[in-house]
Amino acid sequence: MPNSEPVEVDPRSWEGSRRRFLRNAGVAALGIPMLGGLVETLSEVPADASTRDRARLTKTNDILAQGSVFASHPTYTFNFVNHVTTNPFFVPTQYGAADACALFGCKYQWTGSSTSVVAEMVTAMNTATAAGVNGISVPVIDPTAFIKPTNSALDAGIPVLAYNANPPASTASQNHQLCYIGQDLFQAGVEAGNRILPLVSKGDLVAGLIATPGSLNIQPRIDGASSVLKPAGIDFVEQGTGALLSQESTAVEAYYLGHKDVKFMYAVDDGTGEAVATTITKHGLAGKVFGSGWDIAVPELKAVQSGALAFSIDQQAYLQGFLPVMYLFLFTITGGLMRPSDTDTGLYFITKDNVGPYLAAPSRVEGSTTAQTVLPKPTTAIIKADAGLS
Amino acid sequence: MSSPALQVPEASVGVTPAPPTTTGPGGQRLRRLIERREAAIFLVAVLLFIYFAIKSPAFISYANFVTLTQFLAPIAVIGCAEVLLLTSGEVDLSLGTVFIAFPFITYFLWANHGFSIGLATAVGVIGAAIFGLVNGLITTMFSVPSFVTTLGTLFALDGAMLLLSNGTQETMTLTGTGGNILGNWSWAEILWAGAAVLLMYVVLHRVRFGNHITATGGNLLGAAEAGVPTRRVKIYCFMLAAALAALIGVIDSVRITTLDPGNDGTLVMFYGISAAVIGGTSLSGGRGTVIGGALGAIVLAFLYDGLNITGVSAYTFQLVLGIAILVAMIANVQLHRAAMSRFGRRVTS
Repeated sequence: MPNSEPVEVDPRSWEGSRRRFLRNAGVAALGIPMLGGLVETLSEVPADASTRDRARLTKTNDILAQGSVFASHPTYTFNFVNHVTTNPFFVPTQYGAADACALFGCKYQWTGSSTSVVAEMVTAMNTATAAGVNGISVPVIDPTAFIKPTNSALDAGIPVLAYNANPPASTASQNHQLCYIGQDLFQAGVEAGNRILPLVSKGDLVAGLIATPGSLNIQPRIDGASSVLKPAGIDFVEQGTGALLSQESTAVEAYYLGHKDVKFMYAVDDGTGEAVATTITKHGLAGKVFGSGWDIAVPELKAVQSGALAFSIDQQAYLQGFLPVMYLFLFTITGGLMRPSDTDTGLYFITKDNVGPYLAAPSRVEGSTTAQTVLPKPTTAIIKADAGLS
Repeated sequence: MSSPALQVPEASVGVTPAPPTTTGPGGQRLRRLIERREAAIFLVAVLLFIYFAIKSPAFISYANFVTLTQFLAPIAVIGCAEVLLLTSGEVDLSLGTVFIAFPFITYFLWANHGFSIGLATAVGVIGAAIFGLVNGLITTMFSVPSFVTTLGTLFALDGAMLLLSNGTQETMTLTGTGGNILGNWSWAEILWAGAAVLLMYVVLHRVRFGNHITATGGNLLGAAEAGVPTRRVKIYCFMLAAALAALIGVIDSVRITTLDPGNDGTLVMFYGISAAVIGGTSLSGGRGTVIGGALGAIVLAFLYDGLNITGVSAYTFQLVLGIAILVAMIANVQLHRAAMSRFGRRVTS
């Protein structure tokens, strides 16, 4: 064993080192609160708000807290646990949450995992529960992992909602989120399958391309399409593409090069949809091989406009941030009389015919700008199309 | 006339010694504490604790303490495993993937082949140790830098896991006493982690093998010429690190009831290496402290949990966490340099 006895040295040397130690300790003692101050400054308003918006949001919060619409109430804090915190799909979701908080005089925190690590999401939920927030919203991307943290939150008197991904039927009775706000994922897959059928023939190869197989926020879209295509005699196969856009691009192109008889490439997430559009464009496949995307990332919308993609699907991510805040606020301020209810945020097919308004001007609800704007009122055609009248 | 207790080391020859001072046993003990490599990171941990406790009383609530320990456990185990490896002069980038992947073996043996969960866990851990053996053999027999070896095995293991699992999440729900011991009970994971860290502390600091690890990392040629079996030392470190990473991976999977092959193990690996380094372990080998690694993991856990509980949102979170790690590391390095320059090579450890 090494000799652990210290060497006695000149006390003046020791004194110098002690001074340096104390200096460094002082730096740490000052640095941590300063770091905390930086955190506080950066956390006061959504990081994406413009300076003018910051002032407006803060002022609005002050007014509402004084009870101009609702009775005076504490500033409630609602926690959004997310599985891909830095994914651009959820930028409009955060805008929705921020706008709802501004309207109702609340605050929200955006936390969770940036890479769909369930353990991190569970930790984030438990931390929110320990912090005593007023409500939690979580995408239930795992059938069982969120059962315990949800129950813990409920035991602590914190309501929990599910958004963007709902628990499967097999564990629905054990997952006690008050409601689900988002797209009906399986039904969306069914509708997508119905759109694909007219473009292919019996026996054709259709690839279902999915970033993370098994993940509850996207797997049901594959399952829904499969339930339509396979009984119709379509050779429907599922192919994983990876969670990163660079991975997806390579995976999709490699799949096409190895399966040049594929007739339709059906993507169930925006990254894979972009990859499909890139592959179709790069190899000049428009009209010969069809593809589809999901959600309303600008590259996908442009691909729909150019014809590289037959359609994409809008699930209104903005509402998946706005509605949880509204429901939790009303539930809290009414003592539970206004209960959150399951809300389908929509399944809207974007095709070449109706993609125009999405690309005409940036909008906060699409996440393409931080500015609050008023867009031209919907045309009669849009209204009738949304009502199911062509 | 010098006090008998005051001995001037060779490095101070030529320096006029100061008049002897009388320092009692309590003062000497305090000085030895402050001289320790871990003193700086301990101070940082205390300051963080105080800061977050003041900022949010919920930080010191029982519920948060449980959450904090659950986040801390895997980082502490992987961090201290990296301490062993870094001290021996190597590094293992695949530990995070081992943490994610080998629980799948346990799961498949238990769910599909009728193994008891204990036996399935043992097989998974042994499998991980064999994986560590492969890392060690490639590194030592073929003289491949461990950075490269473990980078390659990280990808290979990741691919193997995806093939084995077909890329699909699995649910692992255990019940009964076995389930409680293996992760259902709130404190199970941190107790397992504590036992693993204690084992690594004994290995590095309390038995001869620890001397061999330090010698191998500090001076490979000198250690070999002194009769230390340097190759075997490194291989054993790889095996032990992988085995413990797999074990805590099983516990963690049972706790959250899910195994996801799409999970990114590199993040927990980076947390582990960060914990080891900010705790005072040298990246160049020859100097490591398991206590420091554990304290480094505690600092990271305080930061992660504290920032969450005080309401910091995800975008700001990454920025602040990164800066905080840098600040903690700089403070640690400065303090250690001060100790090294004043006290020469011999510093209490």
